[in-house]
Amino acid sequence: MNGLRSLWNKFFGNSSRAFGSMSVILLLSLAIAPAKDFFSEWRHAQKNYVKLIRTRADAVTLERHVEPGLQQIWHPELGVVDRCTTCHLGLKEASLSNVTQQPFAKHPPIPHSLTQFGCVICHRGQGTATTEREAHHSTDSWEEPLLPANYIEASCGQCHLSPLRGTPTLNEGRRLLASEGCARCHNIKLADGSVVVPTDDPPELNHIADKTTREWIFAWVKNPQAYAASSTMPNFGFSDDDARDISAFLVAQSTKGPYPARTVKAASSDPNTVQQGASLYGQSFCASCHATQNAAGNLVGGDFGPELTRVGSKLKPEWLESWIRDPATYDPETRMPHFRLDDKQVGLISNYLQSKTDSDLLANVHLEPATQKQAEHGRALVLEYGCASCHQINGVKKPENFAPDLSRIGSKPFAQLAFPAGVEHTLPNYLTSKISKPRAFGAGLKMPKFALTTPQVDALATALLSLTSRANALPASLRIATQHESHYQPAGKAGQLISDLRCFSCHAFNGRGGTMAPDLSWEGSSVQREWLVDFLKNPNTLRPALIRRMPKFNLTGAEINTLTDYILTVYQNPAFDRDEIAPSSLTPQLAEQGKQLYYSKYSCQSCHMIDAQKDKGYIGPVLSQAGLRLTPAWTYQWLRNPQALRPGTIEPNQHMDDADAKALTAYLMTLKLRAKQGGN
Amino acid sequence: MANNIQHYIDELHQHRIWRSVFRSGSGDSNLHRAQAVQSNVFLHLFAVKSRRRMLEFSATWYLGALTFGTFLVLVITGILLMLYYHPSVPQAYADMKDLQFVVSSGVFLRNLHRWSAHAMVFLVFAHMFKVFYRGAYRPPREFNWVIGVVLLLITLLLSYTGYLLPWDQLAYWAVTVGSNIASAVPLLGQKIRFMMLGGNSVNANALLRFYVLHCMVLPLTAIFLMAIHFWRIRKDGGLYAPDKPAKEGTK
Repeated sequence: MNGLRSLWNKFFGNSSRAFGSMSVILLLSLAIAPAKDFFSEWRHAQKNYVKLIRTRADAVTLERHVEPGLQQIWHPELGVVDRCTTCHLGLKEASLSNVTQQPFAKHPPIPHSLTQFGCVICHRGQGTATTEREAHHSTDSWEEPLLPANYIEASCGQCHLSPLRGTPTLNEGRRLLASEGCARCHNIKLADGSVVVPTDDPPELNHIADKTTREWIFAWVKNPQAYAASSTMPNFGFSDDDARDISAFLVAQSTKGPYPARTVKAASSDPNTVQQGASLYGQSFCASCHATQNAAGNLVGGDFGPELTRVGSKLKPEWLESWIRDPATYDPETRMPHFRLDDKQVGLISNYLQSKTDSDLLANVHLEPATQKQAEHGRALVLEYGCASCHQINGVKKPENFAPDLSRIGSKPFAQLAFPAGVEHTLPNYLTSKISKPRAFGAGLKMPKFALTTPQVDALATALLSLTSRANALPASLRIATQHESHYQPAGKAGQLISDLRCFSCHAFNGRGGTMAPDLSWEGSSVQREWLVDFLKNPNTLRPALIRRMPKFNLTGAEINTLTDYILTVYQNPAFDRDEIAPSSLTPQLAEQGKQLYYSKYSCQSCHMIDAQKDKGYIGPVLSQAGLRLTPAWTYQWLRNPQALRPGTIEPNQHMDDADAKALTAYLMTLKLRAKQGGN
Repeated sequence: MANNIQHYIDELHQHRIWRSVFRSGSGDSNLHRAQAVQSNVFLHLFAVKSRRRMLEFSATWYLGALTFGTFLVLVITGILLMLYYHPSVPQAYADMKDLQFVVSSGVFLRNLHRWSAHAMVFLVFAHMFKVFYRGAYRPPREFNWVIGVVLLLITLLLSYTGYLLPWDQLAYWAVTVGSNIASAVPLLGQKIRFMMLGGNSVNANALLRFYVLHCMVLPLTAIFLMAIHFWRIRKDGGLYAPDKPAKEGTK
C-alpha cells in the first residue's frame, strides 16, 4: 500500500509531475496509430512472400519482381481501385505454379492480362481494402461479396453477352434461361439492351379439349414430370382439388379447333400395323426432334419436340391425325414441319403413337362432372398462377410484369433478400435455393418447381449472377454484344414452302434459324442441282456419326423444283461464281495428284470416309459422293479457307496453296458413287 | 549552468526582435503582467486577474476549456482530413476508403475527428447545464448565455454537415431525413430544403454545400463567436462566483 502511494507521489505528486506523466502517456498512446500502420497485415504478408521466394531456385528473378509497399491496379474509367496485389504477390509468376499457400499462388491462365481489368470486376469483394477480412469477408456491409469460384464464369458474362468457348456453364445457363421459359414470367434484359427471348414452345390451350381429356389435364397439372420426365412444364404443387378445378376450367374454355372433323378408324392393336407405323416413324425421322424412353428407361431422340413415351394416354385419335396431317392448322406458330403424308401413312403413325400408353398414369384419376363453381375457381387459379404467361387461353390475357425483373439480379443487395431458414446468406445460395426449392421461401409464393438437375441450377445461377449493375456501367466499348437474330423471310412460292416445311426450325438462312442442321445461306454455291433434287426427294445422311437426320417430307416433283431453283439462285456466296471452275480444267492427271495429297500430305481420311470398307473417318461428312454433290468452285474455295465460308467450322484451315487445292478439287470431283435408288 | 541559461533567456527577452513582438517587456510587477495581457491579441480576451478559487477544478469542472480543447483537436484533424478529401460524388467515398486503408494513420485521424466531435457535443451540453444550474446566465451575463446558445446550434450544425461528407448510405439517408424534416416548416419548408441541398435531392450540390458549411462557414463563425464569448467573460466580471460559498463547500 505504501509502495503504491510512493509510486503515485513519484509520478503524480505535484502538478508539474502529473503534467509530465500525462504527457508521456499521451505520447505513447499517440504512437499506437503509426505502430499499427507499421505492423500491418499486408507488410507481414510481403515479408512472408520474400521468405517464401528466397527458398526457391529462381529467387533472384522473383525478388527482382517484388516492389515493396502498397500495390494498386487503377483504372478510373472502369471504377477499378484494386489493392489485392499488395498481398497476392505471386499472381504473375509462372514458376510459382506449384505454390498453394495463399495469398501467394499463381493465377490460373486467363485470356486477359491480369492488370487489364483488375481483380474485383471478376472476383468481386472490396478491392480498396488492405486487410483480408475487409477485402474477402465483408459480406454483411459490402454490396459485392467475393464471388465463389464455381460461379466465376458469371463475370465473363458481364462483357461477353454471346456464347463464349471457355464458359460452358454460363452458356448452358443462358440457354436454360431461354429454353426453360424463365423469360416468359421474368423480364431479363442484358447490358446491351437486348432481352432474353424464350425458346421453349408452350402449346396454346384454346382448343385443348379437342386434343386431350380432362383426366389427362388433371394428371399433368398435378405433376407434369410423371407424364414426361423431360417436360419443361414446372410443377406448381397443386392440390387434387386445385388440379380438378383447373382441368374443369381449361375444358370449359376450350373451343372447337379450325380443322375439318373426320371420322377416325378405331385404333388397331394388331402388332403388324403397329410395327408398320413404327418403321414409318423411323423413316420420317420423327426421332430427330421427339424422344421416347427405351426399354432401359433412357430417352432416345431429340429434345426439340415433346417427349412421346406416353403419348397414347394423352391425345385423342382425331386430333392426333389432323396434327400429323398438317400441324399448322391447329397451331400456326408450331415448329413442327408439314410432312406430306397420305391418309394411310397418317393412320399408321397415329396408330403407332396411340399404342404408346401408360396404364398407370390415369389409373387413379376419377373426376366427377365439373360444376360451374369449380370452373370459376379454376379460372381464378389460372389467373393467380399466371398460366397465360406461357399458354394462350380463351378469355385470359397474358399478364405483364408477372414476376420480378431479373435484369440486375446479380447485384441484388443482401438487405433486399429474404432468406428461408437454413440457407447461408449469400447471393449464389439465394439463387440456387430459389430455383431448386422456390416454395421454401414462403407458402404463398407462385414460382413453380422446375425439373432441373443440380448442375443445371448452378448454370442458371451463373447466368443470373452475370446480370450485374456493373455490367451496365462498364464502357459500352468493352461489350461483346448478343447476336441479334434477323427477321429474314424468303419470298414467293419457295418462301411459302420453306415456311410450311419449317426449314428455319433446324437450318439457318441469312442469320435466322436453328443450329441443329447446317447453315444454308450459301447452299446455292456449294451443291449441284441433280444432287439437291435427289436429296430433297430422299434425304440421306451425310454424317454417319449423327443420330439426328433430316426428315423425309414426301415433297412432290414440282415442289422440289421450286425449292431447288430458289436455293440455287438465291443462296449464293457473293465472293465467287459457282461455275468459275470448268470441269474440263480438272484433268485426270491432276486428280491422281490430288489423291496422293488426300491420303499422304493432308491425311483427309482421318476425318472423312470415301470407301466405307476401308476408311474410318467418322468426324466429317462422307465424301464418296462429293463429285456429285459439291460444285468444283465451292470445293476449291472451301479447301483454301473453310472458315471464310462457314465461320467456326471444325474443318482445319490447312493454308493450302493454289496448286494443292486445285488438285484435291480435281480428285474429289471424281468421287461419284451413286446411292442405291429407292431404298431409304 | 542555471545562471547561464537564465542569462541567455534574459538576453533573448531584451533582444530587438523579441521586443518588437512582445512590447510590454518582462517583469513580475502587476503592471508588467497587465501590460503583457493587454498587448496580446489572444490573451487580451481573458481577464487580467482571476480569483485563485475559480481556477480550481470544482469551480467550472473545466467544461468550457475542455470544449475549446476538443474544438482545437477538431480543427487540427479536420485540416489534415481535408488534405485527403474531395467533396465530389465519385471521389468522396473512395477517399474514405483511402483513409481507411492506405493513408498512414488515416483511421486514427478519422476516429479522432469523429470522437472529438461526439465529445464536443457532450461537453457543450454539460457546460451549459453547469452554467444553468449555477445560475451563471443571470445579468450581467445574459448576453454571453445567448452567444452560448448560438454556439450550441453551430456545434450541432457542424455535426450534421460533417455527417454527410463520408457519402455512404448512412450519411445519405441521414441527410435525406434531416432535409425532409426542414421541409416540414410551414410555407417556407420546400424553399428551405431546396436551399439546404442546392436542389431537390441529396446530390453533388448538397455535398458541396455541406462541405463548404462544414469546413469554412461554420468553423469561422464559431471562432468569431468564441472570441466574443471569451472576451465577454472578462467584460462581465470574470467567471461567475456565487456571492456566498456553497454551504457544504470547502472553498
